Amino acid sequence: MSKFQNEYCISVSNLKKQYSRNSSYVVNNITFNVKNGTVFGFLGPNGAGKTTTLKILTTILNPSSGSVYIFGKDLFKNQLEIKRRIGVVTQNPSYEANLTTERALDLYGMLWGIRDKKMRKGKVNEVLRTFELESIRNSKNDELSIGQRRRVQVAREFMHEMDLLFLDEPTVGLDPSARRQLLDYIKVHVKSGLTVFFTTHIMEEAEYLCNEIAIIDKGKIIAFDTPTGLKQKYGGGAKTIELTFKDTLDEFFMNLLKATINKKNSNKDSGNNRSKSYIDVNGKHTITITVNNVEEIISEILQIVSRHGLQIESIAINPPSLEEVFLSIVNDDNRNGE
Amino acid sequence: MNMLIVDRILLLAYRNLVAAIDRIFLIWQIAFPVVYIFVAGYAYSAMIGDQGISLGSLTVSYTSFLTAGMIGFNVMNGSTVAGAIIWNDKRNGMFQQLLVMPFSKAQYIISNLITIILIGLASAAAIMIIGLPTMYEDVKITLWGIPYTVYALVIGSIFFGSFTIILSTKIKSSEGYNVISNGLFLFFAFVSTAFYPAQGLPWPLSVAFYINPLTYIVDISRAGIFSQIDMFTNIQVLVITLLAAVVFMIATKSMVRMKV
Repeated sequence: MSKFQNEYCISVSNLKKQYSRNSSYVVNNITFNVKNGTVFGFLGPNGAGKTTTLKILTTILNPSSGSVYIFGKDLFKNQLEIKRRIGVVTQNPSYEANLTTERALDLYGMLWGIRDKKMRKGKVNEVLRTFELESIRNSKNDELSIGQRRRVQVAREFMHEMDLLFLDEPTVGLDPSARRQLLDYIKVHVKSGLTVFFTTHIMEEAEYLCNEIAIIDKGKIIAFDTPTGLKQKYGGGAKTIELTFKDTLDEFFMNLLKATINKKNSNKDSGNNRSKSYIDVNGKHTITITVNNVEEIISEILQIVSRHGLQIESIAINPPSLEEVFLSIVNDDNRNGE
Repeated sequence: MNMLIVDRILLLAYRNLVAAIDRIFLIWQIAFPVVYIFVAGYAYSAMIGDQGISLGSLTVSYTSFLTAGMIGFNVMNGSTVAGAIIWNDKRNGMFQQLLVMPFSKAQYIISNLITIILIGLASAAAIMIIGLPTMYEDVKITLWGIPYTVYALVIGSIFFGSFTIILSTKIKSSEGYNVISNGLFLFFAFVSTAFYPAQGLPWPLSVAFYINPLTYIVDISRAGIFSQIDMFTNIQVLVITLLAAVVFMIATKSMVRMKV
């Protein structure tokens, strides 16, 4: 127990959830720990079990079995005490339709126990300034755009002090500048000791913010590491070739390219070393090829390009992004499950 | 009850009053019975003539009878707020948000009932003041009678508030909720002693009146206003208290089981 208290903010062990006796497990025996003062990314495709796990951790749902310790305390025996120290931004919008932004923030502060009116007003002004909400201070929530409403919803959570913040896809609907602003604001709070449990579909965000990442699929955690660790472990030496052409790409060229890469990889697979390859077409001029054997394949690609009479504008070889690693992990899991 | 829990419940009740209730509804809550008192009251009085309505040892005018009845009726009307709060909170995501904060479902349900009790008492006081000119000759305010009226309003709020909470947790669409609650409340309103006395009714209608909880609430509050408390009033207090306790327990269970 002392280890929990000292090191881990959240400790989940053998957690299972099924909605009815005959249904399959939505969360299937997952175990993980979240260190204090870090951002923990919980990623997974739609329906993987992310939100169900989050609902259990925020006391909305009871698990079928397993244990959850938050701040070293059993969540199900100390719900109220734990809830006083956490903040939650739910995936679904939540707002007081009839209130202005300012009044809604003030009321939220009051619900969180800030009784002193002056103190509340100061906090409201700080939050309005930090999240650039001053222009909609007097607008009713009902009148706001989806993005503005989301900003208020996230900003509202900073009206109170907390040790752990659950963010369920908090940047949905936010413009890039507001998104970056929020991530930076969270980073500042993490530096001063806040722990964040973060779910997102946007891998760049996870890479930018998270210290550790767990990938969940079909209710099970299929990968767990730091973003760099995941790339090293699951990137498997893969690299991405990004080719931009001056000419428009045609179907014949694409089919030829795919056939060549697949042939090269199948030759290698027979040598008991399974190779991964993905080809993405980005618009009419750019393709991204992810392969393990860049050195072997690049010359073949250039030969095809030359034979086809295409002119290359730029070529870049990069390590795989977290998104590519995520796709690779989830696709492998799907293949193994078949 | 722990002071902290009371504090949490009052905070939620304050939030309901500030954020979750439509102001137009509050205006309607007073305007609706007032229209009945001044329009239906005088129109029916003209039809009935000078003959009064007997209440225990007292005979009161129809407008007095109706105004006192509207105070009890108003409680039922106001209780729809409890269901509306839940519907709005579910629709706007605030139900889930409040439950991840340091509040429990039990605190949420009690705060809703406190909200409608406050609305019920405030609107009853407003109706009493506005309607006083129609019944000042018959009203007998006594220290013994006031608690009966207040109790009827509080227990009525708990009964009908719990009832609308059950409806809002069981019915899946807001349209369905509105249709069913309006239909049931129409029965409650017009098959009760809110608008007319039960004496002299054909027996099946008389039975229907007394299986209607609104009759008990209206009778008790009226007995308090006119100081006509007898053994039957006390039996009615007992019956409505038991009914309210049962409905409250069912409402709490429904809320606890409700999926978020």
